[in-house]
Amino acid sequence: MSQDEGRGERAYKLCTYCHGEQGEGRQDLASPSIAGLPEWYLKAQLTKFSEGARGLHPQDLGGMKMRPMARTLFANQNDIDAVSKYVAGLPRPQLQPTVKGRPIKGQATFQVCVSCHGENAQGNQALNAPPLAGASDWYLVTQLKNFKAGIRGGDPVKDPTGASMRPMATALSPKAMADVVSYINLLHQKQQQQPKQ
Amino acid sequence: MLDFMSLLRESASTFARDIDHLIAWVAILGGFWWLIAEGVLVWLIVKFRHKEGVRAQYITGEKKEEMKWIHWPHNLILLCDVAIIIMAINVWYNVKQKLPPADDTIRVIGQQWSWRFVHSGKDGILGTPDDVETVEDLHVQVGKTYHFKLETTDVLHNFSVPVFRLKQDSIPGRVITGWFKPTMTGTFDIQCAEMCGIGHGIMMGRIHVQTPEEYDQWLSTQQKVAQSH
Amino acid sequence: MSFWQKYVFSVDHKVIGMQYLLTGILMGVIGAYMSYVFRMQLAFPGKEVPFFGLVTAAEYNALITNHGSIMIFWFAMPVLIAAFGNFLIPLMIGADDMVFPRINRLSYQIFLLSAVILIVSFFVPGGGFGGAWTAYPPLSAKAEYNLTPWGSSLWLLAVALEFVAFLLGGINFITTLMNSRAKGMKYLDIPIVLWMIVIASILFMASVGPLIAGAIMLLFDQLIGTGFFDPSRGGDPVLWQHLFWFFGHPEVYVVLLPAMGIVAEVMTTFSRKKLFAYKTVLFTTIATGVLSFFVWAHHQFIAGIDPRMANIFTVTTVLISIPIAEMLFVYIATLYGGSIRFTTAMLFALAFLATFLIGGVTGIFLGASGADIYFHDTYFVIAHFHYTFVPIAVIAVFAGIYYWFPKMFGRFMNETLGKIHFWGTFLPFNTIFLPLFFTGAAGDHRRIFTYANFPQLATPGLQDLRIIATVSVVILICFQFLFFWNFFYSMFRGAKAGKNPWNANTLEWVAPSPPPHGNFDVFPEVYRGPYEFSVPGRAQDFWPQNEKA
Repeated sequence: MSQDEGRGERAYKLCTYCHGEQGEGRQDLASPSIAGLPEWYLKAQLTKFSEGARGLHPQDLGGMKMRPMARTLFANQNDIDAVSKYVAGLPRPQLQPTVKGRPIKGQATFQVCVSCHGENAQGNQALNAPPLAGASDWYLVTQLKNFKAGIRGGDPVKDPTGASMRPMATALSPKAMADVVSYINLLHQKQQQQPKQ
Repeated sequence: MLDFMSLLRESASTFARDIDHLIAWVAILGGFWWLIAEGVLVWLIVKFRHKEGVRAQYITGEKKEEMKWIHWPHNLILLCDVAIIIMAINVWYNVKQKLPPADDTIRVIGQQWSWRFVHSGKDGILGTPDDVETVEDLHVQVGKTYHFKLETTDVLHNFSVPVFRLKQDSIPGRVITGWFKPTMTGTFDIQCAEMCGIGHGIMMGRIHVQTPEEYDQWLSTQQKVAQSH
Repeated sequence: MSFWQKYVFSVDHKVIGMQYLLTGILMGVIGAYMSYVFRMQLAFPGKEVPFFGLVTAAEYNALITNHGSIMIFWFAMPVLIAAFGNFLIPLMIGADDMVFPRINRLSYQIFLLSAVILIVSFFVPGGGFGGAWTAYPPLSAKAEYNLTPWGSSLWLLAVALEFVAFLLGGINFITTLMNSRAKGMKYLDIPIVLWMIVIASILFMASVGPLIAGAIMLLFDQLIGTGFFDPSRGGDPVLWQHLFWFFGHPEVYVVLLPAMGIVAEVMTTFSRKKLFAYKTVLFTTIATGVLSFFVWAHHQFIAGIDPRMANIFTVTTVLISIPIAEMLFVYIATLYGGSIRFTTAMLFALAFLATFLIGGVTGIFLGASGADIYFHDTYFVIAHFHYTFVPIAVIAVFAGIYYWFPKMFGRFMNETLGKIHFWGTFLPFNTIFLPLFFTGAAGDHRRIFTYANFPQLATPGLQDLRIIATVSVVILICFQFLFFWNFFYSMFRGAKAGKNPWNANTLEWVAPSPPPHGNFDVFPEVYRGPYEFSVPGRAQDFWPQNEKA
């Protein structure tokens, strides 16, 4: 492993142009914040992009941008591992909320999500559920819409984990999506304010 | 001899053969003059190398009988140039200016850094609900004449299929029409041949040239996917 | 005089020429380093490149973009036109300096500023500009497309400033040649290299206007949000291509002509021959210059211009082969009946002819519209224009340096090292670019940083060719160290040279070596043309222009 020291950081240079030096993301390029996401989730998504489970739907313009990049990383399995590890180790950025919804309504909707994503939206690897608190909120809304339309998770064979998320998103109206995401924002803010134990 | 280009890269469309022939003729005519020029150059270098006691000749090159050594080759080259121009324009006219009637039409849309294709679907008409949209994979039938409508959503791209000898820039705000007719089944590369940003080098695509049966089979699987959404 | 007055703020044309030469060569070294990095990435994709590190897609694009820009604007132009033009024009016409020495100094200072700005553009947020040296909008116009908000503007600014520097230099060259010639020097007594440099300057001045306008429009698009090249607001991205190539194609001849001129001087001296058909050379040069303004759209055959227009440009492009072929034939004919001395300078001059012929012939494939559909933007194009630009900017420049070095520094360069350097340059150069003709014909496109995603191109056979090219680049670069050692060592320790070590005819050999400020002890007077070698009935086989009868 010693010769791979720093490989993640070097390979991550390719990602900085869209996702930023610290993985904070850029909304104008449809690039979400990725810093501090769990390693297993990053690896799973990069694999999905390179295998065509994501980024091959004609309406997923952001995903279409991501797919060639993931494939380039994938040309060398080491790079996927190293980059995922490096990005997972970056501190989660403090993002300004951009989605306006009604958190109170969102809280009710969120009860459905708790079983997989957890009480505090912290995620659960056993159920393949990524953390949601602290994510780019505009990205969460886009992905809910994508899930609903089948742009993401539309093919149960290629993307079984995504497909299990689909029915959850189908139940939500655009308004409900904004509400639930604004509740997740609030959850995250509360966690930040709590003193560290 | 005339088909040496197809040794380097398969010729899989009707006009690929024409372009290969043009290239071969330019290689023959240009190569002939190139060999003569290099040959004379080497011959002169060897023959007129410095020898003790031999003095160089005084030639101004301004007399008629001296200039004929320049003028004759130059007139002959002019002749070759005219031949090349006629052949080049002829090929160009057939590939880019003439538009043979289409059996089917596809939309090709470039974005940073992927290709999106809209196939006309079962009814053979674009813009109807049974259109099949794909990313990266273009499916066409062998032996049919296709028109393509080339668009881009952001910067310049270039729709290039080397086996077809096909290349066309896409320009934002315009729809550019061109054509091709595949003659060979198989799966081939589509490249982007115009610098389009950091992902330019990995903006890939594949063209699947299929028999009508294979194509229909593919089409039906696509429509099933579409219905399941 | 203090060091600063003598070497930094000098108005002496020779010092300014030397500043241009050394700055140009330094930029050339940087450009060569870039080519080493991206060739390594192509041969061994994804591996760390020694002396650089991992190459990402964006860095790769920045490297190729700036390699192209540097080699043309900051290496070929300053060395061929500015360095040799500055050094040679006053000396060869028997003048003490340029007509406008202060404009000359300003020209270099602006040029240096532009070079600094270009280098700085690599170290700003986002990195260097990566939209290819042609900088086609909309990619170059919007930061959200190219992701190099600083790099693209600094690149454009550097290019625009560089043009200003060469406009100032060009005015000076033309005025000096027209007005300051030695007594008795008629138009047809001017050495051909000066004609070539001045015609090139005229071409440059006549073609660069549209591009400076275009560069400013593009800067406005980038910085203050105008829409000259934005189709959604009524602009047209293809307009930039016309402005760029209206300059870009004459530019090829702007650098070609001085190189041809240098080769003419070296060849006539070392074959002891009069230049074959001086007037024909002069008139074909002018014809090439005029014709070069009518060929630019052959770069845009498949760029979405009206396909009917391609036919006109096919005709003009293929026809430009006539004056160029005629020039090359005249050069070859000059050797006939000569007595050829194989000095290092002569070897480089002959290598120029041999390799430039390949560049010329392969150009016809690209000028013929039908064939260009396939070859456009492939490595065939790369191989073709490197077979023109390397002979021009490297091989002819070496010929010039080895030839005029005794005049520049009063000492000889080492001939044995020079010959090793020649073979170490000439052979690897061919093994770099001959394989690239084949990868290009097999469908390799330019500006692709890894072929891993293209199954038809990621084959072992093509990869072997890419590795051959890359290894050759490394070998070629290694041999250049020999040149630098030879250059700097000979500058101080080389064998002393007299006034006229090569027994040449032109006026610079009348001045002391190296010439002092003011050049000549006594201003020479001219009695004949520059190439009166081996005139029958004379004891000597040369006849300097200033020698009375």
